[in-house]
Order: sequence, then C-alpha cells, then structure tokens
Amino acid sequence: MSDHTSTTVRPEVEAFVAEVRSRLADLSADEREELLGGLEADLSEQIADGATDLGDPWLYAAELRAAAGLPESRRPRVRLALPRLRMPSRTEVLEVLDDARREWATLVDRHEAGRQAWTVAVALRPAWWVLRAWVLVTALDVAAGPWEAVSMVPTLGHPLVGPALLLAAVVASTLIGLGRLWPASGPDRLVNARLALLAMNVAAVVGLLAFAPIDEPGYLSWQPRNVDSVSYVEEVGPRDGLRVDGVRVTNLFVYDAEGRPVQGAQVFRPNGQPLTIDADQAWTGRGDERTVGCAWTSGTTPLFNVYPQPQRRQRRGACADVTPEQGVVTAAIPPFAQVPPVSSPLPLDPTAPTPEPETDQPDPDPAKVGGAASERPKTRQE
Amino acid sequence: MDTTQLLKGVLDLAVLAVVDDEDGYGYDVLRRLRAGGLTEVGDASVYGTLRRLYAAGALTSYVVPSDEGPHRKYYGITPAGRDQLARQTKDWHTFSDTVTDLLQGAAS
Repeated sequence: MSDHTSTTVRPEVEAFVAEVRSRLADLSADEREELLGGLEADLSEQIADGATDLGDPWLYAAELRAAAGLPESRRPRVRLALPRLRMPSRTEVLEVLDDARREWATLVDRHEAGRQAWTVAVALRPAWWVLRAWVLVTALDVAAGPWEAVSMVPTLGHPLVGPALLLAAVVASTLIGLGRLWPASGPDRLVNARLALLAMNVAAVVGLLAFAPIDEPGYLSWQPRNVDSVSYVEEVGPRDGLRVDGVRVTNLFVYDAEGRPVQGAQVFRPNGQPLTIDADQAWTGRGDERTVGCAWTSGTTPLFNVYPQPQRRQRRGACADVTPEQGVVTAAIPPFAQVPPVSSPLPLDPTAPTPEPETDQPDPDPAKVGGAASERPKTRQE
Repeated sequence: MDTTQLLKGVLDLAVLAVVDDEDGYGYDVLRRLRAGGLTEVGDASVYGTLRRLYAAGALTSYVVPSDEGPHRKYYGITPAGRDQLARQTKDWHTFSDTVTDLLQGAAS
C-alpha cells in the first residue's frame, strides 16, 4: 500500500469539483459520491505534481460519467445560450456576461468603421446617463396622475417636483456610470450588480421607444366620456369637433328669449362658418344604448349646424349610414321643457331687427351650411 | 498517433492490471498508468473506469483515514476482478496477434 500524500484542497479545485458536481446533479447521491468522493484530493495532488489546467468541468463531468458507464445527462447541455432548465450558477452567469462582452469587443474591433463608431459611442456615454435618467423620471410622470404631453422636463404635479427629481436622477445615473454608486458600471462587478445594470439600461431603452410616438399629434389621452363617466383610452386627432372643456358636445338645445324651445336653430360662428356637430361626433352611449344625431336637410343636403339634432338608436355608424338594425328617427329629448325668460343687455328693444350682417360676407351656401339668422338665439351649451 | 480510441478498448484491462499489482487511490492509479507509458489517458476516464469496475464487482474499495488532508478511497482487486483480468489479458493477446498478422500481411 503506497503512502497517501496529505494534500490540502485548493480553492480552484473546490470550484471545479462543485461545477462537476452540479453537472452530475441528476444522479443519485450514492453514484455522485462514488464518482466525486476522492476527486478533490486527486485533483489537488495532480496540481501539486505539476498539472496546469484542470480543463472544462462540463467536459470532465461528461467523461467521468461516460467512463463510469452512467447514462448521459438527462438535461440538455446548452453551453452558453440563455434558456436553461435550472437556475444558472453565479459563475455561469458571469461567464455569459463576460463572453458576450468579449464577443462584442471582437465584433467592433473587426472593422475600422466599427472601432471609430465605438469610440464615438464611448464618448457619448455621459449623454446616455442623462437620457436614461430622463426616461426614468418621465416614465414616473406618465404613470402617475393625469396625462400630459411628454415634454423636456417632467412635471409630476407640483411644479418644482419634476425638475428636482430629474436632477437627482441625472446625478444618480452619472454616479452609476462613473462607478461610484451601486450597481456601478464596469466588467469587474459581481453578478447581481451587472444584471441590475443591464436591466436598468434595457428598461431605459424600452421606455425611450415607448415614448417616441407620444410626441406626435395623435397621442393617447384619458378623457371621461359623457354621461356614463366611463373612462377609457381614446386615440384622438387634434381635438376635432365641438368641445367644451375638452368634453365632446353631442347636441345643442336652443331656447328663445321667452324660454320656449326652438326647433331648427341654425347656428353660425362670427366668421360665417357653421357651428357643426358632424356625423362622427354626434353619437352618445355604447352598444344597445347608443344613439346618433341626425342632420336636418336643405333639399337633399344634410346640414350639421341645425339644432337640436333628432336621434336614432344605432349600434354603430352615423345616421346617414344604412345599418341592419335601423331604428326610427325620434326627436331629441331636451333637458328642459321651458326655461326662464331672459332680458337682453342691449339698451334697445330686443325685438327690434338685428343689425345688418357685414356686406362682404357672401350669402351662405347651403352646401357649406352658412346663413343669416333673423334672430340671435341665446344658445345654451352643454 | 492518436491513441484515444485504442485506449478506450483496453482501459479496463490496464486499470485492473495496475490495481492488481498494488491497491491504489484514484490519482495513484492514474500516475502509474502514465508512468507505465499511457501518457494520453485522461484522469476523468480513469476515475470513471475505477467506479465502473467497482460497481461491476471487479474492484473493492475502502477508505483510509488521514490526520491531515482528506481521506483517501483505495481500490483493491477482487477474485472476480482477477478472473476478468486473466480473461481480458488473453483476449488482448489474441486480438493484438491477429491485428499484427493482418498488418504484416497488408504490408508485404
């Protein structure tokens, strides 16, 4: 019997054997023990005798397993690709990150253009730090509170909070970029720090892409819908149609000076343009409750500035559309049968004829829905 | 010459021979194989083979405690192992003679 050498187990051997052990995790404890029982000691002695490289633990485990006559690992041996069937160990994650970094470096280095582009990108790093801080604070702004246009400086309600928070975020982002604040940039960090940094940068890029469409006129808005008070997201154009305080007006009810409802009031703006509620704006409610406003006509031409617009039940489309479930056109229900009579502020007799319209206004064309009114109705708007 | 394929065929035989000569622990067996001329043999293969032969009953094992450093698992040969060694030695000689003849016949 030869003398056994007493050897201490070195840390790299321990790590190596731990990796091999992890690759044999699908075996029973007994089998594993038989294979690994003396391995640490043997490897340490091999190194003591001058072996330089322990090699790849995965290949070692495979060879060990094969020589021992045990079945191949039941888990797929995916070396570097991300999806695994178990939680990757720290070393594996670090290897992936390091390898990715190396791959990127070689790729960039391959062409002169790549190298120059990379030097520019590296010089622009501070700009990225500022940008990702802005993205973070703007994301908070969008997520919290009522919507407003994405602007240079997030407002977050109180006027001072936004800029202060932005400044703090920029400082923090810069410190992270410089390496002074966790998770800190640079290749020599621990696994958690590197993953956190990666996640932060990815989130910033995603946020940036998400905000890009918002600067255009067709932006998202939350608006409370009319009577139902159901709030949902609606894509609107540049606020078309008749609106009051941002709320769409769907019909107008006109009462005269004695307080009696007026039918067929034709409404115009001072510049001669008709005040219309167009077909695509003249609807209320949803589903079975939905009604649309129908236009008065001059001959065959529909006029959308004549009020009140009668209603028809229609699940979709406008009054002029022919739909299968056409209802009957009914008079719109006015909010009041009668309102109190009013007096004009004009010192003259209110029933006297109104002043002549300006002569340089062309006579209104029914097609354009213009016309002189003989009386100025007092309109009551919703 | 790449002896990996050749080694795979005779590793059992070589390991049995070494252990038959004298009991040894994993690295000890490996060292002796290499010292005997099989410089290419991989340590994982040897350790795995030891385990397989043990599981097959050709080898027995026992742990030798130590005051300093780790305990060592020593392997020794069993009667069944000796039988296998004798049998495979004979097979090997037959085989190698056959191949030698074949090569000589081809060379001439």
